Amino acid sequence: MGPSDEQAWSNRWRHHHPGERGLLAGGLLLLVLLLPPLPTAPLVLVVMTTAVVVGAGVPLARFARALAIPLGFLATSLPIIALSLELSEGVHLSLSPDGARRALEVGARALAAMSCLVGLALTTPMTDLIAGLRRLGVPQPLVEIMDLMYRLLFVVVERATNARRAQEARLGYTTFARAPHAFGLLIGALLTRSLAHARRLEIGLAARGFEGDLQVLTPRRALSARRLAAVSATLIVVGGVALASLGMSS
Amino acid sequence: MRLSACNLVPSLAGEIRMHIMEGFLPPLHAAAWTAVSVPFLVFGARRIVRITREQPQLKLLLASAGAFAFVLSALKLPSVSGSCSHPTGTGLGAILFGPSVMAVLGAVVLLFQAVLLAHGGLTTLGANIVSMAIVGPWVAYGCFRLARPIGLGLAVFLAAMLGNLATYAVTTVQLALAFPDPTSGFAGALVKFGGIFALTQIPLAIIEGLVTVVVINLLIRISGDDLWQLGFGPRPCRVTEVTT
Repeated sequence: MGPSDEQAWSNRWRHHHPGERGLLAGGLLLLVLLLPPLPTAPLVLVVMTTAVVVGAGVPLARFARALAIPLGFLATSLPIIALSLELSEGVHLSLSPDGARRALEVGARALAAMSCLVGLALTTPMTDLIAGLRRLGVPQPLVEIMDLMYRLLFVVVERATNARRAQEARLGYTTFARAPHAFGLLIGALLTRSLAHARRLEIGLAARGFEGDLQVLTPRRALSARRLAAVSATLIVVGGVALASLGMSS
Repeated sequence: MRLSACNLVPSLAGEIRMHIMEGFLPPLHAAAWTAVSVPFLVFGARRIVRITREQPQLKLLLASAGAFAFVLSALKLPSVSGSCSHPTGTGLGAILFGPSVMAVLGAVVLLFQAVLLAHGGLTTLGANIVSMAIVGPWVAYGCFRLARPIGLGLAVFLAAMLGNLATYAVTTVQLALAFPDPTSGFAGALVKFGGIFALTQIPLAIIEGLVTVVVINLLIRISGDDLWQLGFGPRPCRVTEVTT
């Protein structure tokens, strides 16, 4: 999916402290998981969409497209949850109002949670998230590996796209029998080239006196008290409204 | 540059992707699967920290392998049924890198997929790690070691196919545990989820097995030293025999 990475580097919140977005997305995610989905999920979905579209200036269409990615998963699993299977007296499927309600709740919760993930992904570049992981105690070598992986990813994607196009131009996937073979060749070529690339990087680094640590500069960004207060207030309001509507209905 | 480069990420209708999506599992289940995955991650991470301290240049190799694994899982598998699917790569990864390193590498790939591709999720990361980065690779590795004496090709095929199937079996169990059927309970849910996914998954597992055999054969033919560097198998002589 392209939209997320490009957008993450160019949205309005790009120069804010990533912790603020982490708190917003993480807090809403926890709320929607822990509180009953029916009042909470639509609320979270609306709040997150508004924050990302109005606040960070992410186009609504992009947000919606990213949100729609797991629809295939929902479309196969929700009916399975809604339908109930009778095994004791012969096998038959039935649709109960209870099952339908449960499927609706799960679907709503998943979509709302998805909006938190997508909201974070569309506003925060991977490197900021990786720097956050380092603060959370992920060991330094792993953080370096992840940074490098992010850097190499785009090279491999381009290589894969070109190789696939070349194969298709030479009738690589035309028949059913040929397809797995062509696909295997593509993967093998990608792997050998990735390893060769790693070796070249290794030589380059060794030539410059690589001693084991890959230090990167993380831009210093101050947490804004105003924005933190706004995020906390949002979380409290969403939690409060969800609990209040729950109290009223019961 | 955009990751959506035409062919890599297909149109989403009819896509089979078994990452459990964000927010799909109830909170208790999400927390429990995360707890299950933690010891494997800590063990694998310690191992990576240790080997990269001894040989810092392995960081580049691991990062390269991780980027490769990420792209591999975004490639479209040749389709059988018209819907499109992706290789899990668990078999190939386990054969090449070993299952304990695969746990960490797989977890990182899953995190990248969640953030960059919106496949999977943060709260369901633990559950997805258990199925795709722990059980799948261990099953694949076990099959590979067991079947290796019979023949390399067969061992690779079985490892990749059964690793793929094990991944989906675990996901099915995870979903059935989270959403037991109201009348027939866990067993009924297992039949429902398993039934749907078995239909689509068994042919795909076989294709992944075949593809992985092609990959390993290719690697043996053109780059035996890569395999040797990755610690593939105890006897490199076979490899040099073919390449010289």
